[in-house]
Amino acid sequence: MSRGARLTGALMLAAAAAPLAAQSQFSVRVESVRVDVLVADGGRPVLGLRADDFEILDNGVPQQTDLVSFDEVPLNVILVLDISNSVAGERLEQLQDAGRAVLTGLRKEDQAALVTFSHVVSLGAALSKDLAAVRSALGAAYGFGETSLIDATYTAMMVGEADAGRALLIAFSDGVDTQSWLRADAVLDAAKRSDAVAYGAAIEARESSSFLRDLTSLTGGTTYKVESTRDLRQTFLKILEEFRHRYLVSYTPRGVSKDGWHRIDVRVKNRRVTVKARPGYLAGTS
Amino acid sequence: MRRAGLLAVGLIVLAASPTYPQSRMRSGQGPVKEIVVTARRLVRLEQWIKATEHHRPGEADDPATLIGSWPNDQLQELWADVSTLLLTMRDPRSNRSSFVVRLMGRRPVSQFYPPREIRRLRELGCAAGGNLDHPACVELRVGASLDTDLVKLAARVVADRFRGDDNHVVRRGALLHTDIATLNLAKAATSPVSQAQFMYPERVRVEIADGQGLDVGLMGIHWDIAEEILDHVQPPGTSRVNPAGDPMVLQWYRTTSRWMQLHADYDIRHLERGRQLFPNDPDLLFLAGCQHETDASPGIQSSMRAAVIPPGFSIDIGSSHGELRRAEGFFRDVIARVPWHGEARLRLGRVLGLLDRHADAVEQLTTSIEQLTDRPLQYYAQLFLGAAQEALRKYDEAREAYERASGLYPDAQSPHLALSQLARRRGDRAAALRAIERLFALPSDAFDRDDPIWTYHAAQARTGDDDLEALRKPFITEERP
Repeated sequence: MSRGARLTGALMLAAAAAPLAAQSQFSVRVESVRVDVLVADGGRPVLGLRADDFEILDNGVPQQTDLVSFDEVPLNVILVLDISNSVAGERLEQLQDAGRAVLTGLRKEDQAALVTFSHVVSLGAALSKDLAAVRSALGAAYGFGETSLIDATYTAMMVGEADAGRALLIAFSDGVDTQSWLRADAVLDAAKRSDAVAYGAAIEARESSSFLRDLTSLTGGTTYKVESTRDLRQTFLKILEEFRHRYLVSYTPRGVSKDGWHRIDVRVKNRRVTVKARPGYLAGTS
Repeated sequence: MRRAGLLAVGLIVLAASPTYPQSRMRSGQGPVKEIVVTARRLVRLEQWIKATEHHRPGEADDPATLIGSWPNDQLQELWADVSTLLLTMRDPRSNRSSFVVRLMGRRPVSQFYPPREIRRLRELGCAAGGNLDHPACVELRVGASLDTDLVKLAARVVADRFRGDDNHVVRRGALLHTDIATLNLAKAATSPVSQAQFMYPERVRVEIADGQGLDVGLMGIHWDIAEEILDHVQPPGTSRVNPAGDPMVLQWYRTTSRWMQLHADYDIRHLERGRQLFPNDPDLLFLAGCQHETDASPGIQSSMRAAVIPPGFSIDIGSSHGELRRAEGFFRDVIARVPWHGEARLRLGRVLGLLDRHADAVEQLTTSIEQLTDRPLQYYAQLFLGAAQEALRKYDEAREAYERASGLYPDAQSPHLALSQLARRRGDRAAALRAIERLFALPSDAFDRDDPIWTYHAAQARTGDDDLEALRKPFITEERP
């Protein structure tokens, strides 16, 4: 959600893939807030909405919508994939297949990155339009070790924050976190400050992480339960399609305090539709 | 190799619950059942005695493999027969033919030996006790009934006794079963739970991996047999059974408990039995604290939630909070006895942090840093101190502690994550990104990325393998028959 560190609109479109270090020069203090919004009617996305169709309240205070874009801002898709020991073998192959399907579904202006994790968190491929490099890193992954979902998710958020694009995290884990150093509440706090949207996929029958559910809920995404890793391909593609159908709404907060938790309510005027967006954002230090 | 010590795969041992349905047992306070001991059992007992003598400690040799191959029902019978053998061995004059055995808190079982079997038991007792010249053994004409192996064994027992230690078979028997357990020779470990006899004690093990309970099955009861055998130790220079007074028994409990924690082969009951014998031993108290600290970890907690525990078995693992409180109690006990125990302070500090008592955590961790010299332990202490300072919103102090941790292990990922998250929390996105950049610059291969935090749960037991070798050593140097 990144108040104070984002350029918006056309400038975001111009942001190119670059190493993280080169991106750490954000110094433009534009007090804007971006919210990814999914509008659906009967389960189907509602298209064609414009800025004045939206009503946004920040801590209950109505805001002026600056910009709405739909399917215009390129995506930064960050795959956050569990390659721990329990995923090794056929499951990993199915996970890799699902990842490749996402890459195939991207457009030429989109970017992708790969963060893999066991107890080791690795940037398999940096955020880039070079999808072949991401595909190659995906193919090279092998299963071992324990699970550091929380550490990996934080890392992926930082990959997303290093670029001004529209970040979508697709996280898969087949179980609970057993090895992260970072605490779940700290990373959820970081998620409240980030404008990345996280979607998750978890195995239905296994003990799963409440962290993943909390994270996706906080960022406006969803955690999908799958019966087995065979279903991941379909689930990942569903996530990508859903994200493409989201509106990117931005506004400059007015009449609200700078720091603390800001509850966001996004509504569509004069329409009985379902609106899905992050519930709020955190500003200032904690 | 650090990966070997990860908690990725482990075992948790469950004890048969005292609440096992009474319908499986006869009611009343007396023995459940009188079991008539067969000749076949005595043959196996003789094989066991010879195995204790021929086994070379630390080796997966034929004697250890043979005993390890026995299924649980035979091991349970062996357990009871060894128990009666050790009684007979210490008292050659006894002509009892019925023995009540009470194994591991289970209901007592009465074992009846028919005339031929009781005679054989006494003959074996004469050999194992080194009492061939005892009038009771002479009367049995054991010279004619024992083979060369057993006669030689008796001579070795006598030689040990002359050296002041009358525990030849006892110590070697315990080592035999220790080796079967530690060298993974127990074939019975795969028995399905449905085969449980419940007349004698049973053990179930839950195989865990990556936070999931994968498999549940009966395990070989070799640790229990070893414990039972050691209960018959007479400390050197004494003529009374008193395992709590024997240095080797103490060494055995310290070593095996450490080995179990090193290899993620968890058995809290084993530690408790050690503590019953040695309630004031700081090492066992420390290991007990470490075990409860581990039991509070997400991996163990989620494995236990996911595992399907068979009826009649119980597991003594509480909630994460409860286990942390138990760990705290043990660590405080150690520190009260050994105030300079920096490692106990380190762990107490971590536990207090997890219990959200951060100011207390800072105090303990700061003292531990002054006391510790080991680099990995210093690393843990700095990392935990950083977390506690961060929780207290002392961000500069937290950053300095994380940076000191990073300085100790530049290739460790945790300090970089901590520094990045701390910077992000303070609104310094650039610093957060720089710290993550440093993480990405680390070797991507797990073998090269050296983060001691991954083996924290086993760090307290780092000497476990060497300690086991040291335990075996006095028995290896003996000349074998």
